[in-house]
Amino acid sequence: MHLRTSLSRPARATRRPVKGRARALLLALCVLGAAALLSAPSAQAYTPARPEQAYAPVKIVHTEQVQAGPYHLTLGFSTWPLRAMQSLDFTFAPDGGLTGKSGTFSMTRPGAKAGMRGVRPLSRHPRKRSVWGLDILSLPTAGQWAFTFTVNGPQGQGTGTLGNLTVLDQPGPPLALSWTLCALPVLGLIAFLIVAWRRHRPSRHLAVAGV
Amino acid sequence: MESVPASTPTGPGRPSPPGRPPRPQRAGAAGAYAVLAGALMSLIGTSWDVQWHVDVGPDTFFTLPHLVLYSGSAVAGIAALVMVLRATFAQRAGRPADPTVGGSPVRVLGGTFTAPLGYLVAGTGGALFLLYGLLDLWWHSLYGFDAVLNSPPHIALFVSISLTMLGGVIVFSAARARRWGRIGLVLTVPVLLTFTPITFGAFNGLGLPVDPKFAGTVFFAVCLVLMSAITLRHRWVALSVAAVLGVLQLFLWWFSPWAAKFYADYVGLPLRDNLRDVPPELAAGMPMFMLAAALVIEALLRLGRGRGWSARRLPQLTGAAGGVVVGLSMIVQTSMLRGGAGGGPMGRSATSATTVLTDAILGLAFGALAGYLAARFAVLLRLNAPAADQEGR
Repeated sequence: MHLRTSLSRPARATRRPVKGRARALLLALCVLGAAALLSAPSAQAYTPARPEQAYAPVKIVHTEQVQAGPYHLTLGFSTWPLRAMQSLDFTFAPDGGLTGKSGTFSMTRPGAKAGMRGVRPLSRHPRKRSVWGLDILSLPTAGQWAFTFTVNGPQGQGTGTLGNLTVLDQPGPPLALSWTLCALPVLGLIAFLIVAWRRHRPSRHLAVAGV
Repeated sequence: MESVPASTPTGPGRPSPPGRPPRPQRAGAAGAYAVLAGALMSLIGTSWDVQWHVDVGPDTFFTLPHLVLYSGSAVAGIAALVMVLRATFAQRAGRPADPTVGGSPVRVLGGTFTAPLGYLVAGTGGALFLLYGLLDLWWHSLYGFDAVLNSPPHIALFVSISLTMLGGVIVFSAARARRWGRIGLVLTVPVLLTFTPITFGAFNGLGLPVDPKFAGTVFFAVCLVLMSAITLRHRWVALSVAAVLGVLQLFLWWFSPWAAKFYADYVGLPLRDNLRDVPPELAAGMPMFMLAAALVIEALLRLGRGRGWSARRLPQLTGAAGGVVVGLSMIVQTSMLRGGAGGGPMGRSATSATTVLTDAILGLAFGALAGYLAARFAVLLRLNAPAADQEGR
């Protein structure tokens, strides 16, 4: 961020006519940009589509069983085994369907006391409305998790817990490496500001700048 | 990167016909507002996408909010590229560079390109967005479509967008002698002010004693408002920035839930069950009482200038006062907007005397730091196109 004409290089002499070429290049860039935007697959998002066409169906690859008082629930997982930070679909299906039933659900982290996590109402899965569930949710840490359900229905209230739900370590490279790589733009910005600061010493110009 | 010769702010050589602005200024305004339009699209797309996840849920790469979000960076990036090429060809044709169009020109890649600084920063942000967009795609292939804002690639994407917005601030600051430049700066700063605190979510996992979102909001709100006021040196700049921020907040407050529901209806998806009646996530995180803080900043700046207070201390004093107002107002905002279960988009509300005192002290500290940096950043912005000062007072 500087303007030291004393350090400036002289402008290059014109070697060939550039006006027409510049205009042609600008036009080509505009056309290319417009074509890229219009032909991008994301432009297809404008097309109305049935949900089952637009979004992947919920595929359950593993199930666990929980008995919540008089109610039997089948827990479905779209990925198995579970890994930290890896998101998946969870489904909670009571025997006999959802009609006349409601309830709450809580998750307990590894090492935490039961009930430490907020209790949330059981909601239908957005892409599988016949069961309760959670979509694209990841469990942040590895270890033993517990899911606790309270179900209200025609046979009264029942509570059950699926304990010792093992979540393995996160996949992929170490998180520190990912963060380092993704911190590069911030580090670049800080370096840019340091260079500008050292070059101009803005504290010396405060009065002149009319602060 | 090195500097190149620059012309006076009236632009290169040829006089313009009476009553008509010179061509470089018209092109400069078009390029600058294209960058602003891209930045605004990115902000609106982000707010819409966040609300989509809260209200509806299902995610793929190809959703309409993602399209708006990604198009924003594309628009700003292409505009910056066009302006860099324009400056490059002008320089090769032997015309001196005009620093009021994008800022001081710098040589890039050994002089292959001549890039006005503001467009260089904005374009770099756009290019980084593309690069980290690819990394984000790989991340989702490994971790799934986790709807979290603070994954490493998401934070890198937000920083890239912030860089584009920062480029816009540099571009408009360089054109502050022009009316369109001053208006553009007052419009761009609230967009940057809304966006930058999101990146502080990267610190959420560290278990810091200070809420990163609170720290980021206080710091950037004070720093950017004060920086604008010092850069433009016009009356009412701080209040104007705060007023635009308020309008932007109202718009996002209405638009994001409406757009999420409209798009859900359009693609035939239902809203989630048990949606709590909480305010829109992104809009609710913007400081609602910024006008009060801006009033304090404006008043102290005028008082200090009028009485000849030290230019070395006035920014810190003004920043500290503004920081306390923003900090305390965020407590009020959190209490107003908390959800039924005690938590809302602003997190849990806590209004004990200790919390009030702690937030006031933190506001004071972050505000003073923001004031110190704001004045110096403003000096750097003014030095970026110094000759324009002759007209801009």
